[in-house]
Amino acid sequence: MTRGRKWAAIPGLALIAAVATVLSAYSGAQAGAPAQAATAAQPPVATPTDTAVLRQQRDTLAEPGPWAYSAASSDQGYAPEQPVNFPHPVHVQSLQMNCVYCHFAADKSPDPGMPAVGTCMGCHTVVAAGKPEIQKLAKYYNEKKPVPWVRIHKVPDYVHFPHMRHVDAGVTCQSCHGQVQNMPRVYQYSSLNMGWCVSCHVERKARYDCATCHY
Amino acid sequence: MSIDTGSAGVKRRDFLKVLGAAGAAGATIGCGTDDVGKLIPYLESPDNTVPGVSNYYATTCRECAAGCGVIAEVRDGRAIKLEGNPEHPLNRGALCSTGQAALQGLYNPDRYRGPMAREGGRLVPTTWEKALATLGQQLTGARGNAGATFINQSESGSFPVFLDQWLSAFGLPAHLSYDADLPASAVQAHREVYGVAWPTFDFTATRLVVSIGADFLDNWGASVPQQLSWGDARAKLADAPRLVYIGARRSLTGLNADEWIAARPGSELLVAQALFGEGDVAQAAQAAGVSAEQLQRLATELRGGTPSLALAGTSGPDATEVALAAARFNQARGAVGTSVKPAQPVLGFEGGASYADVRALVQRMNAGQVPVLMVRGANPAFTTPRSLGFADAMGKVPFKVSFSSFPDETSELCDLVLPDHHALETWGIAQPVPGTISLQQPTMTRPVFNTRPTGDVLMAVSKATAVGAGAYAAYADYAAWIRAQFPGGPSALAAALPTGIARGSVPARSAPASAAAPVAAPAAPARAEGELHLVVYPSPLLGTGSGGNKPWLQELADPVTKISWQSWVEIHPLTARRLAVVNGDHLTVQTATGSVTAPAYLYLGIQPDTVAIALGRGHTAYGRYAKGIGINPLDILAGGEDSRSGALSLVTTARVTKAAGHADLVTTEGSARQHGRNIAQAVAVSALAALQPAELQPGGRFGSSNATENAPYGGVVPGTEQGHGGGHDIPGLPSSKPLPGLRSPIAADAQGELADSSGKDLGMYDQEHWSGMAKRRWAMTVDLARCTGCSACVTACYAENNIPTVGAPWQGRATSPVTWDETPGANIVKGREMTWIRLERYFEGGEDGSADFETRFIPMLCQHCGNAPCEPVCPVYATYHSPDGLNVQVYNRCVGTRYCSNNCPYKVRYFNWFGFGEPNRRQYAFPEPLNWQLNPDVTVRGKGVMEKCTFCVQRIREAENRAKLEGRPLEGDEFTVACAQACPSRAITFGDAADASWSVAQLAVDRRAYHVFEELNTFTAVVYLKKVNHAAPSASPTA
Repeated sequence: MTRGRKWAAIPGLALIAAVATVLSAYSGAQAGAPAQAATAAQPPVATPTDTAVLRQQRDTLAEPGPWAYSAASSDQGYAPEQPVNFPHPVHVQSLQMNCVYCHFAADKSPDPGMPAVGTCMGCHTVVAAGKPEIQKLAKYYNEKKPVPWVRIHKVPDYVHFPHMRHVDAGVTCQSCHGQVQNMPRVYQYSSLNMGWCVSCHVERKARYDCATCHY
Repeated sequence: MSIDTGSAGVKRRDFLKVLGAAGAAGATIGCGTDDVGKLIPYLESPDNTVPGVSNYYATTCRECAAGCGVIAEVRDGRAIKLEGNPEHPLNRGALCSTGQAALQGLYNPDRYRGPMAREGGRLVPTTWEKALATLGQQLTGARGNAGATFINQSESGSFPVFLDQWLSAFGLPAHLSYDADLPASAVQAHREVYGVAWPTFDFTATRLVVSIGADFLDNWGASVPQQLSWGDARAKLADAPRLVYIGARRSLTGLNADEWIAARPGSELLVAQALFGEGDVAQAAQAAGVSAEQLQRLATELRGGTPSLALAGTSGPDATEVALAAARFNQARGAVGTSVKPAQPVLGFEGGASYADVRALVQRMNAGQVPVLMVRGANPAFTTPRSLGFADAMGKVPFKVSFSSFPDETSELCDLVLPDHHALETWGIAQPVPGTISLQQPTMTRPVFNTRPTGDVLMAVSKATAVGAGAYAAYADYAAWIRAQFPGGPSALAAALPTGIARGSVPARSAPASAAAPVAAPAAPARAEGELHLVVYPSPLLGTGSGGNKPWLQELADPVTKISWQSWVEIHPLTARRLAVVNGDHLTVQTATGSVTAPAYLYLGIQPDTVAIALGRGHTAYGRYAKGIGINPLDILAGGEDSRSGALSLVTTARVTKAAGHADLVTTEGSARQHGRNIAQAVAVSALAALQPAELQPGGRFGSSNATENAPYGGVVPGTEQGHGGGHDIPGLPSSKPLPGLRSPIAADAQGELADSSGKDLGMYDQEHWSGMAKRRWAMTVDLARCTGCSACVTACYAENNIPTVGAPWQGRATSPVTWDETPGANIVKGREMTWIRLERYFEGGEDGSADFETRFIPMLCQHCGNAPCEPVCPVYATYHSPDGLNVQVYNRCVGTRYCSNNCPYKVRYFNWFGFGEPNRRQYAFPEPLNWQLNPDVTVRGKGVMEKCTFCVQRIREAENRAKLEGRPLEGDEFTVACAQACPSRAITFGDAADASWSVAQLAVDRRAYHVFEELNTFTAVVYLKKVNHAAPSASPTA
């Protein structure tokens, strides 16, 4: 299959080139106006508060802008539906639970840790056991299946983000993850782009040569 | 297509725009957020496990009989790295390549997935219930039959005892403990003279070691402890022992020798008698084809007062006699107790059966006297000569059971396969040395495949058939039995588990005396006219074949010939010239029992009347990495035996002819000669005293009285000339200060703001610092006096850094849209291997093949130059210098121009040609579940990226993180890199050269220190310490 794809690439590229020729000739015939207009679109704000607006901006923009260090080439605003609708506000605000109660390794490991299903059931065997979302959770637990949470925050494989160093340095969870305690459904708050990382490292006088994170 | 700048044509910008849009569309389809993946939590949080942080389990290596202690690094339930256990009395933290590659046995993609049974002539999967029922039925039928045989691997500890107990309950004879790698003749001689199978050899207490074919640095006996001792001995420099190697072929041990006496095969006994006894020197010299003066000089030296140690490990029909001569010499000279320590035996070598026992078994099998044959951890169908006919004899055994994990030649002939757990999944007790127990515990949360420990299987059969079940009534499984065996019981065992070792002893198996009388081969293989001697030897990496299915070991270049993924015939250049053969020409080696054909390797280190072939390759089964690679010289051995020990004779005579065809040698070597480049430097003992320790001098460089004399180009190192203001004259950098060896003025400039020494973490160059150099400078020293060239560091690097192997047959390039180059090692022939650290081996002298030559080994890795030639040529800044002294490669910046590699004087950058780390590619190097071994702290590199040694930056970061969380600075020698950790001769030291609390800071200014290609002003962070050559007393000093 790989072989087929590889050798299909040459005619494929030729095809793209041909299409490009036709399209450009066509747009050239349209008095050449749109190209300038498109680049004049406003770049999105770097620290959005409303993800819906951001998404909309991103979807409606006609052409890639100078986004390399801003949000739009990332999955910022990504707010997938989760297998169990876990309400952070209830747990954090109403119940005053600390982040590291569930994300137990955030202060001692590169990996913040996801709570075991058993941890959830520690309370929910009794608490709110009748609610439909809890029943979904209990179903997973009884079938001995872990909850397949949809991953929201992810840096590429060649980036190493040690959570514990950031926690140790006094960076709050909210600095990167946003006000999760207010999010009925968690979304990706920050762009997680390298520019975003580096700007903070510069600001806080942390090391920012490449091998700090890339190895 | 024309690129027109006018408005009507296609603008380049528009073209790119459309391309970009098409690309974006592709990206949207291919990597939308749906692919971000899932976060799978635990169902229940396990104790003592933090995700993303490794746990370490001490256990015991079972790859050879020695039983070294290993510490398995386990991440999220999977073993990802094996390292030596520093507390273990045998290996003291070091580990050989074979031991490290145990992981690739554990995760071998060709392991049996579950039990198999023969149906309609084929092995098909079955269930454990059915398999156990069949086994129980057959054993009940064979009960009390003295012909039934169990062959087990050679191992120390409790399992052999358990096995014999179980066998006797069924009325079956005690098992045969067969290990084809075991040097049975030496064991026999040791027993007769020292009273133990394998004493500890201590080289530090002697001044002269004479080895007659005893490859104590290869795999003759307990190689890791022997290497450790040898390294310590050679580190004594002027007081170190000199090594004289006598044998037809210079093995790795032979290459480490200071003097080689190329005795013909078959003459060793005469030579031994002449040297160690009262034999006639002239007669011996004539038989051996060596100079009588040389032999006489050595004999005189041995008779003098020099503390001497004699070792003999030949493999001919008189091997035990030779070994006895050496052992008696040691006894007579009082070396026993000082250099030879029978009081500290390596127990894994006790109780081994000989080849003669297997031959006798084959005779019984052919006679129909063996109703049941059970095999565990041995592969006799492959490791015995074809002429013995083990495979055919198996056809006459009604019921054959294999407990092998792998589809090897023997298990494929069996009727029932009950795959054992891997040693890393099993409970066990080993007794490597008297008084110390080495524990074996499962390192995996759960087994990789549907396998069962053989102990459990045997116990279950016993309980199901109610035969001997009483002995196991109290135990639920084999693990429970093990816990009960441990002195002090389960609680004491639990207390001992963290270190993996405990004081005490477990009952040992009473080894049955070897039953079979050896059949001697002709005393000395008479060489007919036109014939050559043929020497067959176990590969230092693959042994007699058990390593063949581990890609790390196939890929790792043989330490002597630097060939991988291939078999070869070693032939002397003069003999090759006579046959009109050049490197790679096919040679046919024909004996009375058959012939094999393999490419020629012209080797100075072989006696001109001899050819040699390594064992270990030529598998016809054993999985994708072993099958069909190379040839097996056992196919042409007649199967003669040593007359006393019953060991298989590996020496014969053969007719060697040039065959049609030529194969490129799969070699990682550029040239075997240094061509005056002074890469691997050496110093004679006599010149040692003249070396001055390096010190900071006004000249701005380590005072190197030795540097100039070794530097080529007239000994002038640029920037060190007198009269230039006493400093480096760096154009464009008038402010450059005189800086010592590790510090580069150019790099200091290139650091820009990072060079600000007032910064918190930053600033490699600190004028206030005692070294004038740095706050932190990661550096390495490699002591070439210690290095033996064993290449364990290379395997350690593969394991730590997710380095792909590239030589498997399916990893070649496309030669057309539908065909592929499927030659094993085709990528390596093209120079596409990925060995971040490689062992270079250079020959000095003896060019014409008439004289002895010297060998120098030097591990070559990224030198982390302070002034790196690779850095300025990168068009995308993918490589740069970090403030702590690392030359960094940023994979995600790299666009693969390979300019850096082109500009690297050390050739230590490796380009990922085919996406060896990408699962959907044909060349993928980690087929499931081999990928379970990958280190999660290290990026798996994709196609088109340059990669190289990182100085294990992930370990540096891990240590820094740990120190930071504990609120302290890094301590001296707090951690080390993978290659240094594994090194069995302790040649490699890593650390912060700017901090005196690290050992490396002292070693880097040793009087023997030098930088490779110092004249290029690269200011490397890898400092080599010169090898020390020990000349023969009366010979003129060389080197």
